[in-house]
Amino acid sequence: MLGYICGRILALMMILLAVSVIVFSLMHSVPGGPFDERKGRLPPAAKANILKKYGLDQPVWKQYINYMSHAVRFDFGIPYQRPHTTVAKLIGKSWAITVQVGLTTIVVAFGFGILAGIYAAYHQNSWVDTLVTFVSSLGVTVPNFVVAMWLILIFAVSLDWLPMGGWGSSGQCLIDKYFCTDWILPVVAYAIAPMAIVARYTRASIVEVMGEDYVRTARAKGLSEVKVMRKHVFRNAQIPMVTALGTEIPNLITGSIFIESTFRINGLGKYFVTSTLNRDYPMIMATFLLVAFLWGILYLLTDIAYTMIDPRVRLGAKSLS
Amino acid sequence: MGFILFLALFADLLSPFAYDRVYFDRVLLMPFDHPEHPLGTDEVGRDYLSRLIYGARTSMMVSLSVQLIALAIGLPIGALAGYFGGAFDFVISRIIDIMTAFPALLFTILIISVLGGGMLTIIVALSITSWIVIARITRAQILTLREQEYCTAARGIGASEWRILFRHLLPNAMSPILIAVSLGIPTAIFAEAGLSFLGLGVNDPIASWGKMVGASNAYVRVYWHLALLPTLAIALTMLGFSFLGDGLRDALDPKQKIRV
Repeated sequence: MLGYICGRILALMMILLAVSVIVFSLMHSVPGGPFDERKGRLPPAAKANILKKYGLDQPVWKQYINYMSHAVRFDFGIPYQRPHTTVAKLIGKSWAITVQVGLTTIVVAFGFGILAGIYAAYHQNSWVDTLVTFVSSLGVTVPNFVVAMWLILIFAVSLDWLPMGGWGSSGQCLIDKYFCTDWILPVVAYAIAPMAIVARYTRASIVEVMGEDYVRTARAKGLSEVKVMRKHVFRNAQIPMVTALGTEIPNLITGSIFIESTFRINGLGKYFVTSTLNRDYPMIMATFLLVAFLWGILYLLTDIAYTMIDPRVRLGAKSLS
Repeated sequence: MGFILFLALFADLLSPFAYDRVYFDRVLLMPFDHPEHPLGTDEVGRDYLSRLIYGARTSMMVSLSVQLIALAIGLPIGALAGYFGGAFDFVISRIIDIMTAFPALLFTILIISVLGGGMLTIIVALSITSWIVIARITRAQILTLREQEYCTAARGIGASEWRILFRHLLPNAMSPILIAVSLGIPTAIFAEAGLSFLGLGVNDPIASWGKMVGASNAYVRVYWHLALLPTLAIALTMLGFSFLGDGLRDALDPKQKIRV
């Protein structure tokens, strides 16, 4: 087990290295940069000075080594768009907001998703089941910025119940600057797709387990319905649910670019878009490394969670495919 | 869905105005305000109905060509890697590993930031991320089919490696690949709309539903139709194409269970 985890972490390091090389070389392989003269001419001396300040006058491989030797010490340089702060600080600040959005969404999506899935599985072919199936196929297909726009049109424009955008600035909050009225629309818009997926997974796995012989046996020996569900059905239905968790959480944590830009939330996703529009190399690079790192770690954690839930799963064993 | 394709094909004939024709005296008309503009006009006075129709063309052009390119690249690469194995397979598998190590959307945005916006760039960027899916599925299919008896039999009667690959293996591997392509279409529609929504997509004055949604954000309080109509178009098109993909999956591969 320990050996397996070490191997996975080593593989993750290799992938991070590869990602950094690819991103770095892509960004430097094309002419033009943050200081090209599209937006205004610079005197040659001033331009040379700026290029020197950011180390852009050196060969690309030297720039890469220079960058990486600082990056391992969490020094990602200075964002071109905001020279008075550092990339690490800017990412830390904006990521805090993205994590708030992501975590609230995860709680909402999984809470309601699992409840709806259980209910739908337990009352198969009832109108609630049909509704859950319908809403979830809608939620999986329709992009979240489209849902966000509809929510804005209904609840912010025609009903005027909730603010149109922002994050923690509406003044009506549960605790200090958290859980405000302007959290509701982004979280709901963001949560619908994962909620649909979780509900579908939960429903499918519970329906499957409920058809097993051991559930019938448990019922036959006179266990109460609650006990059958809790001890026999849920425990066995957990594996597919964890799979859904494992693939959805990394997506959510890294921030929804669309939600942040629809509701004008100053999170990591929004900065990522402005960095790409301005070719802010240090910001792009650091964001990519962070996201790849998080994905790797979260997938590893999911695999470890499998072994805890289901002792039959053996990590590190050669898979058949 | 057929309707959307029809709109895309005959956009020139169907739309009452050119998509980039500007009427400075008819800015931000509400639907039915003016007899000539049944769905109103946008913030610079372009006929909204015409832009919606041309948006279908943009959406279809990007998504269909992306899937075709992905198929043209991913199919041979995946088939060769799966069939012959060896060093080529090793390299391809590592590329697939790396590309799946972070969200495809971020990678697409990176490529667009490097190459600059525009419809061609979007097609290129989306193709770079989509061929991976096709290659992975083709490789897995070929790997399992390679060990089947009819393959050994074909080898036994002296068929060449290429003949086995193209005449025996690929036709049998086609149905999951076709399903992946058809399910890739709504993904590509979403990607184009999303990128244009963020301002990273097609350039002005080309009409794109995503861009229309993005532009409407500032006017939504009064001019609700600017936001509602393109979002409805995106949602209906994506639903249509995913139902097509699901239907194709049920028809071609009845054994496969519902995959979310």
